[in-house]
Amino acid sequence: MSAESVPPLISAQLNYLINHFPLLVKIEQMWSGNKYNPGILDRFTLVIPYCLDFLRWDIIYDSELPLSAPDVIFGAEDEAFHSFVLRGGEERGNVRSAKNCLSDWNSKDPTRLMVLVQQLRDLYMSYQRRRVGEVDDDRLKFEISTIVFREGIEMHMSSGFDKPEEVKFAVPLLDLNLNKMVPGCPWRHQQKIYLQVVYPVGRKYVSAPSAPRLKLGSTSELKTLFSIEDVKLPPWLDGMCMAEYLPHLEESLEKQVLEAVSLIDVRRRFIEALAFSFGRPVEADPVFCRRATFLAASGAFTFLVHFFISTQFPKQQPVLMLQSSQHNNSQGAPIKSPHVTEYPWSPRWEPSRMAERIFEFLVEEALNFKRQCNEAQLQH
Amino acid sequence: MDDLPLHKIAISGPTLASMIQRFASSPGTVDGLLFGHVTHITPSNLSDDSSPSDSSTHVVATITGFLCSGTTHSFYDSCGLVEPLSLRRLVGDLENQHSLIGWFSGRRKTNLRPSLREFSVTASLACNTHLSFPVRNALSPTNLAPCVFLLIASPSQDQTIHTHEYRAYQFRTSMDSFEPKSIDIVNIGPAFRGHYGSFSPNSPFPILPCELGTSPMSEDQNDDCLGRMKQVSKDQSDLDMCAEGFDVGILNRLMGSEAVNYTAGLENLYSKMLIKLESLSRLVEKSSAKVLEQFSCVN
Repeated sequence: MSAESVPPLISAQLNYLINHFPLLVKIEQMWSGNKYNPGILDRFTLVIPYCLDFLRWDIIYDSELPLSAPDVIFGAEDEAFHSFVLRGGEERGNVRSAKNCLSDWNSKDPTRLMVLVQQLRDLYMSYQRRRVGEVDDDRLKFEISTIVFREGIEMHMSSGFDKPEEVKFAVPLLDLNLNKMVPGCPWRHQQKIYLQVVYPVGRKYVSAPSAPRLKLGSTSELKTLFSIEDVKLPPWLDGMCMAEYLPHLEESLEKQVLEAVSLIDVRRRFIEALAFSFGRPVEADPVFCRRATFLAASGAFTFLVHFFISTQFPKQQPVLMLQSSQHNNSQGAPIKSPHVTEYPWSPRWEPSRMAERIFEFLVEEALNFKRQCNEAQLQH
Repeated sequence: MDDLPLHKIAISGPTLASMIQRFASSPGTVDGLLFGHVTHITPSNLSDDSSPSDSSTHVVATITGFLCSGTTHSFYDSCGLVEPLSLRRLVGDLENQHSLIGWFSGRRKTNLRPSLREFSVTASLACNTHLSFPVRNALSPTNLAPCVFLLIASPSQDQTIHTHEYRAYQFRTSMDSFEPKSIDIVNIGPAFRGHYGSFSPNSPFPILPCELGTSPMSEDQNDDCLGRMKQVSKDQSDLDMCAEGFDVGILNRLMGSEAVNYTAGLENLYSKMLIKLESLSRLVEKSSAKVLEQFSCVN
C-alpha cells in the first residue's frame, strides 16, 4: 500500500481553508473512498466552530474525478438545512452565491473550498436564526427582538428525542479589537469573548421564568492574555432580560481586559528586573511576557531557572522550575525540579525587590537541587 | 402536482443485489436511474375487526429495473440541477417501457445520509412535471413525479467486514424534504410466496448483448469476425442440446400466474442435467484413474 496522501489540487484548497478561514477550522479525520488506492485521501470531516460549539461536516471529494466539485454531508440533526440551502436562505442574493460557487467550480482555484464553507456557514447561521425565530415562546421572542441587532450573534436551536428543547445564544461581547490591544500580537484569528445564554423552551406553565444558563467562552488563544475562568459573572436577577444584563457584564469585562493588557507591562518590568541579578535571559516570551528562562550557576553547578508567570501576576507569584545542565535522568533527559511556589513574596514589592528576594532564595535552593540531582544520578 | 405519500418502496432481491454489485465493482461514486411503477394497493383485510382504518389503501413504489451510469454527475451538474438533455440521452427509449420513478447514488465510505447535492438532484428531478407518470389503480387519476431516492453507501469506519448499507427516501415536494421509507425486498422462496401474490413483474427479460468485439467498418477483421460468429452459433447449438428445447425465452413464463405449470418442466430439465453431469464426472474420474495408473507404470 502506498503512503497516504491528499491529491495536490485538493490539498491546496484544504490548506487555504485552514490558513485563511477567519475562524479556527480543524480537520478531524481524513480517509479514502478510493477502491484501488486506499492511500489517496479524498474525504474529510471538518470541525467548524459555531455558537460556542462545533459543526461537523463531511466534505466528499472524488479522487477519481479530482476536477469536480466536492459534496457535503451535514450533521444528522440538520436534515432540514438542505432545503434551506436549496432555496438560498432568507435573502435571495445569499443563496445564489453558494450555488454559483458549486456550479462553476474551478478546482485549480485554491480559495474555492474556503468560499464554499464560508457561504454554507453563513447560510447555517441564518437557518438557525429562522428556526429560533419560529419557536413559540414569548420570552424568547422578546429576547430576540432586543438583541438580534448585535453584530455576530449566533443562535442554535437544539432538539432531540431524549433532550429537552433549548435555544442557545452566543453573544460576542466587547466591541474591542483585542488583537490590536496587544503590541506585536501573534494571533492569526480575531480573538473574541462570548457569553453563552441557554434558554429552555416551552415551559408555559412556569409563572416566573427561571434564569437562563450562562457561561463565558472565548477563542482559545486569548487565554495567554486573559483567563475567562477568573471572571465572576454578575447575578441574573428575576425578570431580567439579556438587554439589561449585557451592559453590566461588558462594562466589568472591559475593565478586566484593559487591566490584563496593562499587566503585560508589569510582567515585562519584572523580567527586566530579573535580568539585573541573573543576567540576560536565555529565552523570554516578548509579547505576553508569560515565561522567561535564565542561566544560573552555583559554584561549578550550572542550571536553568524557568519562570512561569500567570495572568494574575503580581497577585499570584511566578512558578519556578530548576533544570540541571549537568545531570540527566535514565532516559537521558535533563533532571528538573518540581514546581516551586514556596518562597518569599509580596505583590506589593517593587519588581527589583521581587527579583532580589528570588535570587537570594535560589542561592540556598540551588544547593538542595544539586544534592537531589546527584542522588538521582547515583540511583541509576 | 399531486404529492402522494408512499407507504413503502418494494424492490426484488436480484435487482437490489445487482445494483449493489454495480456499485461495489465500480472504482468510485456511481449514480443511476430507477425505473418501475407506483401502484395503489387495497390490502385484503382478513380480520373481522370492523374499526375503520384510514390506512386501507397503500401506495407502493416498485423498482423493477435500474440503469447505472457507472460514473457520477451523469444527468445533473455539480450543484445538483438536472440537465434535461443528459437525462434524455441516458434514459434513451427505456422510458417507453417503464416509468422513471427516481434515482440512486452509491458512494464508498460515507455516512448513510443524503448529501447536499443528492438533495438538490432529487428536488430538481421531482420538480420536472413532464417526467411525472400515472399512478396505477388510483382511485382518481393521479400523477407522480420521480421522487424515489435510494442511497447506497459503505461505512466509513469498518475495514474488516465488507458491508453495504442502503436507505430509501421519498422526496415530498409539498414539504421540501426527504421522508425515509421502508424497503420491502421481494424474494423468491416459500417465505415470500405471499408477496408474489401482489407482485406483478412486468419487466421483460434483459437483452443479453452478444458482443462480437469488432466494428462492421473494419474490413480486415472480417474473417476473424466470421470465425467468431461461427463459434458463437456452435456454442449456442451445444447449449441448446443441453437445454433440450428449453430456450431462454420460455424462462419468463416462470413469473406470473402460469408459473406452476412450468416449474415442473424446468425441474425435470434440471434433474436430467444433473444426471448428465454425474455421468460426466464419473467418466472423468475413471479416465483420471487410468492416467494415474499409466503414470505409475512408467515410473
